[in-house]
Formats: sequence, structure tokens, C-alpha cells
Amino acid sequence: MTLPAWLDDLLWTYQTLIHSLGINGLLALAMYVVLACGQLSLGQAAFMGLGAYSGALLTMKAGLPFYLVLPASCVAPVAFALIIGVPTLRLSGVYLAIATIGLGEVLRSAYLNIDALGGALGLNGIPERAETWMIFALLALSLTALVLVGRSRFGRAMEAMREDPTAAAAMGIDVARYHLAALVTSAVLAGIAGCLAAHQSSFIGPNEYGFEPAVTILSFALLGGIGNPFAPIAGAWFLTLLPELMRDLPELRLALNGIIIVLAVLFLPHGLLGWRMRRTPEKLAGGAR
Amino acid sequence: MKRRHLGLLAAALIAAPAFAQAQTVPVGAIEILSGPAAAYGIAIKAGMELALDEINQKGVLGGQKIALTVEDSAGNKDQAINAARKLIGRDKVVAIIGPTLSNEMFAVGPVTNERKIPTLGTSTTATGITDIGPYIFRTSLPESDVIPVTLAKAMTRGVKTIALMYANDDAFSKSGFDVMKAAAEKAGLNIVTIDSFGSKDTDFSAQLTKIKGLKPDAVGISALVEPVSGVLLQARQLGFGKETLFIGGNGSNSPKLGAIAGAAADGLIVGSPWFIGKTTDGNPAFVEAFRAKYKVDPDQFAAQAYDAMKIMAIAIDKAGAADPEKIATSLGKVQFSGVMGPFAFTDHRDPATAAGVVVLTMQDGKFTILQ
Repeated sequence: MTLPAWLDDLLWTYQTLIHSLGINGLLALAMYVVLACGQLSLGQAAFMGLGAYSGALLTMKAGLPFYLVLPASCVAPVAFALIIGVPTLRLSGVYLAIATIGLGEVLRSAYLNIDALGGALGLNGIPERAETWMIFALLALSLTALVLVGRSRFGRAMEAMREDPTAAAAMGIDVARYHLAALVTSAVLAGIAGCLAAHQSSFIGPNEYGFEPAVTILSFALLGGIGNPFAPIAGAWFLTLLPELMRDLPELRLALNGIIIVLAVLFLPHGLLGWRMRRTPEKLAGGAR
Repeated sequence: MKRRHLGLLAAALIAAPAFAQAQTVPVGAIEILSGPAAAYGIAIKAGMELALDEINQKGVLGGQKIALTVEDSAGNKDQAINAARKLIGRDKVVAIIGPTLSNEMFAVGPVTNERKIPTLGTSTTATGITDIGPYIFRTSLPESDVIPVTLAKAMTRGVKTIALMYANDDAFSKSGFDVMKAAAEKAGLNIVTIDSFGSKDTDFSAQLTKIKGLKPDAVGISALVEPVSGVLLQARQLGFGKETLFIGGNGSNSPKLGAIAGAAADGLIVGSPWFIGKTTDGNPAFVEAFRAKYKVDPDQFAAQAYDAMKIMAIAIDKAGAADPEKIATSLGKVQFSGVMGPFAFTDHRDPATAAGVVVLTMQDGKFTILQ
């Protein structure tokens, strides 16, 4: 396939930005999955880091092809999610947030102190393996899956848990199981996003997976909204594009970035896309009772 | 966007007759102009623009002016890559100066190298920068060239044993420590202990108490200026006196050290590729011109950028055309004498000589050259 030169140049110029849109979209979905169940779990940056480091090592040290590396990079985040899931699921609200941030910091200092992971210098020279189509196919796949789940009885259960976990449990919903399932799904999505990110910018370091990125990922979902899976992606795209759109105003960049976000939060309390998902009527939904 | 382009087009049409003979050579720069590390990028930008004023009086390639576009990276590697792609894809620059941090260079370097755009780091001191590829150059002396000079000076003062301390959560500090350790081993110094801390730590008493018990002749510290100041202040409280020589890495080479640590920093020595009081050809004139233009004193980063801009201009001029491939070839051959001292590249595109390095010592809150 040959593209006209100007289009090729344009795509090359914005390639990293386009890739970031896809990757941040996946991270926003990872955040959405737990928030949609009413859990303020902020371990996404940690999952992302595990996916990035394990993926990068599998490519660089073990020399595996990318189609094996990508699924394998979910293993470490999922294992971590299962280990932390059982004890932390007893927590809720801000306590869960604090515990998950703490665990993320533990991982960050582990990266800093393990010489095989490069310490503070991180890993560099990771080959560019993440293709545009790959990133967006994965995003589309995840989005479709989440829309389908959201419209099924699972989605109804998730919404019930979000609004009132006690009432949901009284209605026969196994809240703990749903929470763990959501955490594992979140780990898979963030792990894949981390692996893709590592294979598109050739360098990763421990500080990319600390507290600040955890909050950035949370802000994707908060700005976009959590009523439906499209909303967090919209939030992620908005926050990713904003600094690049304002490249022409270097002096005002940081200030405008902040002002626009504050205005959006003030005037759009339910997010950029505030609507809730429509559900299939009960009769058609099959197993729903 | 569209309107802006129309405006540019209109401006270009109006200006066309005036520029019919004098084309410009587009050069890009990626520096940190916003966020916590903006001070570095702003100093570098000032140094480059001062050099550009002088260069464009004569022009390059027979009177063409260099048009410098400086993009902000905010210290973020993704934004740095976006900036590089924008400079190459849209602005069609023939060469890039920057980015500011070594971490950013590790992300940007592979992109510019793939497009064969010569990229010149002015402040990237980490090991392995020029290994990225044949189009990646740097004028900043890697720490591995500066620290041996500092240690040699320390040894002439009778230092035989050394304790090393470093911040382990910051790439710059860790890389500096690796170099310091290797240099100390090579120089035959006895390393009595190695202790690490975090860049944001405020309490270093555990590490310092341990070091005090071992009584080393010197303590080498690789960290940014804030934690170094903290270490020195606490060391004086714990009773470290003149008998212990404190040796700083590149991070200690900042006027902020005297401002934060005050008298506690007195006696610390640090190697520097540049010093404001250096009497190398052109340096006094540079300092004066910088003060006149910006009303502040230049720092090491401004001086390095000033030289780098001039080196780039020479390379473009010698290349004979505004062509990245030709500029890359001629850049490697540049022989230059600037405010930092004599300069040439090695075959591996690193600075060839550390002759310009001076060892400074802190005296009453200010750096002076150690004789």
C-alpha cells in the first residue's frame, strides 16, 4: 500500500500522538472497569508498569515475537491483581485508593532497586513493535466487549453495586466476585496498554508508573464520565490532545490546560459524555432475572 | 489551524519579494520550557538565541539566516517525541538541538535517527546517548569525562578513601553514581561504603552516621542540588568538619547549592565544563553579552547551548547545502574554540577533549576555581 507523500508525512508526524490516543484509551477503559463497579482502585499505573517491564524484557532478553509478548505481558499484572485483590477487596472508597497507590509505590521502588531492570535509568532501546492497527484493533475489541458486558445482566449488576453495594448483595449479587473480576479485567487492559506503550517509545523508566500517572489515568475517567465505556475514552483523548493542540501557545500551555480541565469538571459534572448505557429490554436479555 | 495557515500564506506572499534571495535554514530545538525543570530549558533557549543573533548577522551558506523553532517538551518523553516528529514532519528542519534530559534523548533519539536528522544534545550527560545511532551527537561532556578530573584533583590533596552516596530514584543521579564508582575504582581509591537515598528525602542521618564511623577522607555525592544541599547541612550538624572533603557530581554544579546550603557547602569540590569566570577566548564577551540581553548571569547550560548553536552553524555552513545528511557528515568534523574551550567530536560523536574542565570549590556560598 502506498500513501501519497503528504499523507505519509502527516501520519509520521502525528504517529506517537495517534498511538498515545489508543494506549490512553485502553488505560481509561482499565480505570472504567473498576469505577463502574464502584471501586476507587488506583492500581492501573502499577499494572501498566508490570506489563511494560515484562513485555520489554520478553522482547529484549528472550527475543520472543510480539504476538507472543503481547498476551504474555498480561500474566504479571493479572498475578499481581489476584495477589492484591483478595486482601484489598475488603477495603472500599478512599481506603482502597490509598492501599492501591501504596502498592504502586512499592512496585516503583522495586524497579528502582533491581539492577536487571536498569534502576532509575530504566530500559532503553526497546524495539518499535506496536503498530497503529494493532493498538486500535485492541481498543475497538475491548470497547465492544465492555459495551456488550455493560448491556447484559453483568452490566446491570455492576451498576447496582456502584450505586449501593449492600443493596446489590441483598439482591443476590456476589459483590466480591464481581470486584475481583473487574480488577483482573483492569489488569489485563492496563498490562496490554503498558506493553504497547513500551514498544512504541523505545524507553521506559520507573517514574512513568508512580503516583502521577495513576492520577492521570483516574482523570481520564473522571473527565470523560463513567456512565458508559465511550466516556472514559473521550476523556483520555481530550486530555491527550489538549497539550498538543496548544503547541502554538507555548506561554499559556500549562495554564490553559488547567483552566480547560477545571471548567470541564465544573460544568460537566457527569463527564464529557454523561449519558448512561441503554439496556436491552429484559425479555431479550436472556438470562436476566 | 486553517486560519493560521492562511495567515502564514498571506504573510509569505507579501514577504516573498524580500526573501527572494535570502532563504532560511530551518533548525529545530526541543527543550523543557514549562513545568518543574523549565529552568534548564529556558537557560538553553537563551544561550541558543544569543548565539543565533551573532550567527545571523553574517548568515550561513552565503547569507542565509538560520530560523530556529524551539518546541516545549515539558520534561515529558511523549511530548518530546511529538515535538521531534512535528519539527521533522511539518517544519522540515534539517537538524535538531536538544532535547534537554538524557531520558528524553533516549526516547527522541531513535525517532530522529530513523529519519537521519542530525541531533545535537547540549545537556545530555548520561552514558550511552551516542550509542542510539550515527545521527546522534552531543557537545555536553559526559560525566565519565568530568568526574575523573575532579577525583584526580581530590587525590592531589591526599584523598585515599572515599564513601559514595547517591539518589537512586533519578536517572541523572544514578548514571552519575555509576560513573563516580567506576572512576574511583580506576583511580585506585578505596571505596569504604555506598549508600543511597531518595531525591525527595529530607533525613540522611542514618547514612551519614554510618559514614562518619568509617572516617573516609572524602564523600562523593551524586544527586540533584536540593538533596545534596540537604546532605551537606545535615553532615555539618553531625560534626563532619574540614577533614572530610565533599565531592559533588554534575548535579552539585549549580549556584543554588550556595543559596540553599550556605556555609555548610564550603569546601565542596565539583568538576565543571564551564565557569562564569573562565578566561577562555570569547567567554568574557559572552558573559557580558548575555547579561546585556537577559539581565541575568548565564549558567553552564546557557554556555553549552551557546557553543552548540555555533557548532551547528559551522556544520551547516561547511555542509554546503541545507541537507541533513551533509550536515551530519560535516558536524562530525567541526573544529571549534568557544566559551567552553577547544572542541571537536570523537569518532563516536562525543566531545573529544575534557581539557576545558575546571574544578571548582565552594567558598562563602559561591563557586571559585580551585587552584
